[in-house]
Amino acid sequence: MFESLQHLITGFTIAATVHNLLYCLIGCIVGTLIGVLPGLGPIAGIALLIPATFGLNPTSAIIMLAGIYYGAMYGGSTTSILLNVPGETASVITCIDGYQMAQKGRAGPALAIVAIGSFIAGTIGIFGLVFLAPPLAEAALAFGPPEYFSLMVFGFIVLSNVTGKSFLKSLMMAIVGLIIGAIGLDPVSGDARFTYGSISLLGGIEFVAVAIGVFGIGEVLVNVNQPSELLDQKVLRPRLRELYPSLQDLKKSVGPILRGAVSGFGIGLVPGPAPVIATYASYMIEKKVSKHPEEFGKGAIEGVAGPESANNSACQAAFIPLFVLGIPFGPVTAIFLGALLIHGVSPGPLMISQHPDLFWGVIASMYIGNFILLILNLPFVPLFANILRIPKKILLPLVILFCITGMYSVNNSVFDIWMMLLFGAMGFLMRKWAYEGAPLLLALVLGPKMEVAFRQSLMISHGDFGVFVNRPISMVFLLATAIFLIFPGVRFIFKQLKKGGI
Amino acid sequence: MAGTGMFPLILGILLMFLSCIFLLKLLYQHKKTTTKRDSGGEVRRSPVQLILFFGTMVLATAFFDKLGYPLASFLLLAALLRTLGMKQWTLNILLSLMTAAASYFLFVHWLQIPLPKGFIGL
Repeated sequence: MFESLQHLITGFTIAATVHNLLYCLIGCIVGTLIGVLPGLGPIAGIALLIPATFGLNPTSAIIMLAGIYYGAMYGGSTTSILLNVPGETASVITCIDGYQMAQKGRAGPALAIVAIGSFIAGTIGIFGLVFLAPPLAEAALAFGPPEYFSLMVFGFIVLSNVTGKSFLKSLMMAIVGLIIGAIGLDPVSGDARFTYGSISLLGGIEFVAVAIGVFGIGEVLVNVNQPSELLDQKVLRPRLRELYPSLQDLKKSVGPILRGAVSGFGIGLVPGPAPVIATYASYMIEKKVSKHPEEFGKGAIEGVAGPESANNSACQAAFIPLFVLGIPFGPVTAIFLGALLIHGVSPGPLMISQHPDLFWGVIASMYIGNFILLILNLPFVPLFANILRIPKKILLPLVILFCITGMYSVNNSVFDIWMMLLFGAMGFLMRKWAYEGAPLLLALVLGPKMEVAFRQSLMISHGDFGVFVNRPISMVFLLATAIFLIFPGVRFIFKQLKKGGI
Repeated sequence: MAGTGMFPLILGILLMFLSCIFLLKLLYQHKKTTTKRDSGGEVRRSPVQLILFFGTMVLATAFFDKLGYPLASFLLLAALLRTLGMKQWTLNILLSLMTAAASYFLFVHWLQIPLPKGFIGL
């Protein structure tokens, strides 16, 4: 534990170099802009800016991308509060009370409490990371290919179970993602699969194209398809009567921030779209424990402070499985895995010992990033609010141009733009028919890893499928998976029996 | 044993299996709700705007190499703005020109991304 703290201090010296601080700052500013723009959330935003990090060393690159992530989350909260438009799914909850606060001219305190809460949650989160990650990494050293495979299966099932309305649809999306991930060279034998003679397909489908397509272009198309009044919609200048929260506001927020931070951290560790669940959970908790629950929905500052803090610590905790196991449990960390692989870093139990600079530097930079957002956003809120006043019909073409330019610069290839458009159209239809993009993206990034683990397991066991259930850790994961699989079916049958009047 | 095709094959079988469940579920639900079909309250939007918007992107991609980045981005922006209802041509062209120029300097000169030059050679 003491050793970890020492490493963390080293991490701070790495993250606090002028060079890295600058990238963190750029990341936070660009991220906030991305979060504010319609159609671009953290997922498409990070994917778009991966090419901008090509010239950097891995540590600076991840520091900048993490800055973009936090910035985009913050930008999403800004639009929720000022516009009642959640920039991304994690800030849906913030809309409820945040927008009400803005309506009452209290947008300033709402935005400030988001930054303050996120900062405090970040502080708690970083200690969790420091004390949890190294022992978990040690435990994960005992994992062989069968354990990894079973854990990934578990991750998919849980993610599919908690995203979207239909478990079945999400599960189908995960399998479609795995199949798309199989395009290109076979990761074990090197044979070409599903390329139909195309050289461009040999390298596989670029995950950046899928991320920008489904989460960026698809979202823009949904916006275009809205009634034209919404496209012309201009935002009224938010009344920023008071810019900073009062002492009473702060007093009210202490409890929600602390509870949100702790519960969010726990939720962030398990598979699923952690920030989304964490914000919902925190809102429910605060409403339950509040002495005046009737104020919720009418601009209660607790309803903003709690979920936003939970959001932040969940984001931080979600990095633990990524760094320690090398397995992302959600779409955003999947993008980070892709970015790490591009920079030649393969996260896993050995990452903490093999790339200590990267691991501790990035962790320290997350903290610094939170601090930058805190001091950056409070004075610049009116500026970001002004961007929101530009009508959507001007912003959407700009977003498209960014997407096309960014996509081209990944591999300097027009083929990738075609792929992005294809997945953009698919993303639009998926949104329309309520298929979730998150399992698809996670499966696409994890697919090759999963297949390698699967085939290595069978090589170890000489083709015996029992290897997945004979090993205890692997069996525990599979049992947990089975419970998640059977549960919806049992519930369905139970409901039918009840209806049948038995 | 576990060859190149095995993993995709298992995935394909799983997907077929899930699709069958999905179909059965739909049939089951369909039976129950046949009486109140097509009541969907949301107003149907004409897809023309969407198709024009997407078509513009496809065209811009098709001629991305030939036109070169500055020209392609200008035409793309102008056309997209027009489809979204920017009726004043002067304002539209001014806006597109300024944005295309700004992104040209940002991406090509500042960030040094090798974007296609096209026939105008910029």
